[in-house]
Amino acid sequence: MVPHAFFRTKKYFRKKDNVRMLLLLVPGLVVMGMFTFYPIIKMFVMSFFDWKIGYNQVSPFIGIENYLTVFSDPIAGMALANTLFYAVVTVPMQIILGLLVALLINDIKKFSVSFRLLYYLPVITSWVVVALLFRYIFSNQGLLNYLLTDVFKWIPEHIGWLSTRWPAMTAMTLLGIWKGIGWNMVIFLAALQAVPKEYYEASSIDGASSIQKFFYITIPNIKGTILFCIVMLVIGAFNTYTPIAVITGGNPAHQTDVVLTWTYYQTFSSYRMGYAAAFSFIIAAIVAVIAIILFKVLRPERM
Amino acid sequence: MKKLICGILILSLLLSVMGLNVVAATEPVTIQFWHNYDAGAGQIDVLNQLIAQFKETNPSIKVNQVYLEWQALKNNVVAGATTGMLPDVLRGDIGFVPQFQALNVLVEMNTVFPDYVNAADAVLEAPNSTAKAGDHYYGIASNTNTKILYYNKNLISTVPATLDEMWAIAEKVSSKDVIGFCEAWMGGWNLCQYIWSYGGDILAPDYSTASGYINGSIAVAVIQRLADLFAVGAFSGPTIDPGALPDTDGMGTGKYAMTIDGPWKAKDLSTKYPDLQYGAVQMPAGPAGSIGVLGGEDFMMFKTSDAAHQDAAWKFIKFMTGKKAQIEMAKVGQMPVNKEALADKEVLKVMPLLSIFSNALQTCKARPVTPKWGDMEGVINTKATEAVLGQKSVQTAMDEAAAEINALLQ
Repeated sequence: MVPHAFFRTKKYFRKKDNVRMLLLLVPGLVVMGMFTFYPIIKMFVMSFFDWKIGYNQVSPFIGIENYLTVFSDPIAGMALANTLFYAVVTVPMQIILGLLVALLINDIKKFSVSFRLLYYLPVITSWVVVALLFRYIFSNQGLLNYLLTDVFKWIPEHIGWLSTRWPAMTAMTLLGIWKGIGWNMVIFLAALQAVPKEYYEASSIDGASSIQKFFYITIPNIKGTILFCIVMLVIGAFNTYTPIAVITGGNPAHQTDVVLTWTYYQTFSSYRMGYAAAFSFIIAAIVAVIAIILFKVLRPERM
Repeated sequence: MKKLICGILILSLLLSVMGLNVVAATEPVTIQFWHNYDAGAGQIDVLNQLIAQFKETNPSIKVNQVYLEWQALKNNVVAGATTGMLPDVLRGDIGFVPQFQALNVLVEMNTVFPDYVNAADAVLEAPNSTAKAGDHYYGIASNTNTKILYYNKNLISTVPATLDEMWAIAEKVSSKDVIGFCEAWMGGWNLCQYIWSYGGDILAPDYSTASGYINGSIAVAVIQRLADLFAVGAFSGPTIDPGALPDTDGMGTGKYAMTIDGPWKAKDLSTKYPDLQYGAVQMPAGPAGSIGVLGGEDFMMFKTSDAAHQDAAWKFIKFMTGKKAQIEMAKVGQMPVNKEALADKEVLKVMPLLSIFSNALQTCKARPVTPKWGDMEGVINTKATEAVLGQKSVQTAMDEAAAEINALLQ
């Protein structure tokens, strides 16, 4: 078997094109290896050590203790619950609203570009700037309370939107949704334009209503795009950091922390590199499981 | 002939070695200096002037100053501890000394430099004690501070003399639009002063346990008082309530009537809210006195520097802790540690609150000097916040805090 494999490899390299192709791949592979694969492997190794970052310090091997610590840490659980809440609310809402806007814009003839630009603007604005704006809107002395109590006089006293866990998380999910609609709109617009017009014409002749066209023609034809958006948005939700860091900073008492803010805190405030590595791997595993489930449920091969 | 050649060779070798030494002594050395002096307050401009003056007397030493924000300063040292990319001198929070020392990166300054004793003698003993870990000094005090009471003169007519009075006034002046008292955070930096002033402590004096201290009757009573004030809308802060105004803005706009903070607060309030009528007095006393928390910054040096750089760095540190540099820095808000500078007329003129701070410094205390103190502060903040918000009873929350801190002490 070995000589056979050897000759096959030799034959492969004899082809000039193959060598050229490999040479072209090398720079990319080197960069990927150095900045993606090596850190991942290194982090996996770190998660089994009480990793010391000091000068010439020895890091003792502690087995799965970091993983056990993460599982028994109530704040890690709270951060994960907050992230799941953020994902469960923002992902469907971004898809529904993004698709709705895309459908509306797809059908209009005039000002289509202006509307696209308007809806896409939040996507290109800085996370920090809009997070600060949201903080000013939702803070106790913010715009929302001012409108509700002083202008419209609907409520007698200010509401602490950012003061407690769930209202604060809701405010941050609103920011996530608002900022994500434009991106989804662009993706769905591209998908909608690829749906053959003949299908709609044929269904019109058959007497299908707009709702029937949407569910029986549009949705099945853009199912692949929907899956793509869901997977990307779920990964994005697990990567959310800036709005939380800017709006509440995880306060009060880490009750609004998400997985990344908690990982950052453990890494750079407590220097618990091993804990942070283990937590990151657990999160990566959760995201992978969610992605697998999505692929199984939505079955892209049938699309 | 052979002997002559040998003699010439040895002589030339000796000369070359001596010559090298001569060259090494005069060869320019560039030292890297990381700091977090405040550019907005004009401190970096003064620093540049001081560096230029230092270069006049030490032409062979070039100081390359790099500003890094507080957290970035810490993160860069953490990263540098692994890579060896560290500065020659760092001026940072007094709390960094035990943390960096635990990373095994700091120079044992009192051992390496025989004249450390003289330099340390020139500065105040209490601030310099923050540079000590175990039996050695890993830094030298750069500047010091503690906290005093700032109050809005339009809201507070009677200045409290005791902490009990302060809490009572906070409750009295609170209304729909006013919150009597504000704390920017709930860590040790903010709570130690009350617990100490009421006669309690955070840890046992030998740092062996937190049980009976952070969850002792005095600490629990202090946090209960804050929880009671929070419940009636007389106490708040931006970490207890992320929707609340930050402390400076809250004071400036009249939302908060009182807060306890360091010398920078006077500058912040005067700059951002020039119309605000505020007063400042020493922190009101508890039964054990007015015991504030010692703050400030220390100069530190790193093992990664070679001998020539360490010598140059030490010269620069001595210059920066000297009378002249300390007076210049006082003009831009840095409270001196140099004893001569503290008594200087110019300093007294530029720091109107200096006498209040000087009195407060007489009775203030340093926070526990232990590498895990940062983590312990995090635990105290989390548990005390849960207690103040009423999510747990104060005793339960502080019992949990004691257990977590005990684990960190092991």
